[in-house]
Amino acid sequence: MADKKLAFIVQRTPYKSENPKLALTHAISYQTVEILLEDGDTVTPTVCLVGDGVIACLKDQKAMETYGITSTEMHLKSALLVDLDVMVCKEDLDRFGISESMIVLDAEDMGADKKIQIVPFASIVETIKNANHVLFF
Amino acid sequence: MAVLSMGIFSSLIGSMSTDFAIKLASSAIEKGHKVNLWLSGNAVGLVKKSQKHLKDYSTGEKHLIDLMQKGVEICTCEACTYARGIQKADAIEGVQWNAMHWYLAKIHSSDRVLQIGGE
Amino acid sequence: MKLAVFVSDYRLNVDTLDRLTSAKLGIILVQNGVYHATLKENGKPSSLLGKNADYYVLMDDLETRGLGSATIDDNIKVISYGDIVDLIFNEYEKTAWL
Repeated sequence: MADKKLAFIVQRTPYKSENPKLALTHAISYQTVEILLEDGDTVTPTVCLVGDGVIACLKDQKAMETYGITSTEMHLKSALLVDLDVMVCKEDLDRFGISESMIVLDAEDMGADKKIQIVPFASIVETIKNANHVLFF
Repeated sequence: MAVLSMGIFSSLIGSMSTDFAIKLASSAIEKGHKVNLWLSGNAVGLVKKSQKHLKDYSTGEKHLIDLMQKGVEICTCEACTYARGIQKADAIEGVQWNAMHWYLAKIHSSDRVLQIGGE
Repeated sequence: MKLAVFVSDYRLNVDTLDRLTSAKLGIILVQNGVYHATLKENGKPSSLLGKNADYYVLMDDLETRGLGSATIDDNIKVISYGDIVDLIFNEYEKTAWL
């Protein structure tokens, strides 16, 4: 029986690259991984948005209306809904002049208890250090 | 023997990342290690069979078959693959089709993970 | 933490590597990342080479680009694919691909 901690590091802007979305959808898939694991084994992902990746958490994205695809905002909310820890780098938000009021902070409208955590980069480094494996997207 | 799982997200043609992953997998096998390959995003085009090897382009089919014969497990993200119009009947035999949790499960039992992400 | 970072591009559009701290850091130059080991813009070596890290460059990717190992600085070890396998299993615990 073992839990493996995975750090998903999103460091690029969404939409032009598929990678930020795929980081989120892969992390969300932890919800069903147990069907492929031995009894008692678990996987615990943490999603970290750093660098240009913090732009992915801007709210009011209308990708469904404009291109008919699920928005990264919706994927972030889905991550919260399945109780993933989602961290956003405070220094990078500040660098872009993005305030808390401009980003997705929770998914209460979907019934999620988890909230996005705005943290210093040092906390993200600690998450990377504590993870068994790190996946940079 | 140790276990290496690699996630490949770049296209076969146009990035060379897949060429890198195939050669690294081959070297790991030669050294007696176990290797798992997860294909997602644009990398799923790699599973299409009947690839014509034109010398101006990277090719994957022959290498994937060779790796699978040596015990490498290769799985394609079925959502990513279907979204690109590739059906199982079009795919190289032996490649597994599964959801993203396959990759996470393989990572769970891996000693090392190399996630080849951004393009 | 013992982290091996694969640098696969010459122009990096992410700055994660600049901010990461690791007790042991290995930088493995592959694909277009090998230019960091060979090009000197305005006579200056790549700023990437100024870190407290062990540096490696993949021979296959040098040769692919018409670059030899003769001009590589002594502090950058020229390695094979097999060497990469040994590095990631024996010298480092985690990997990152940039």
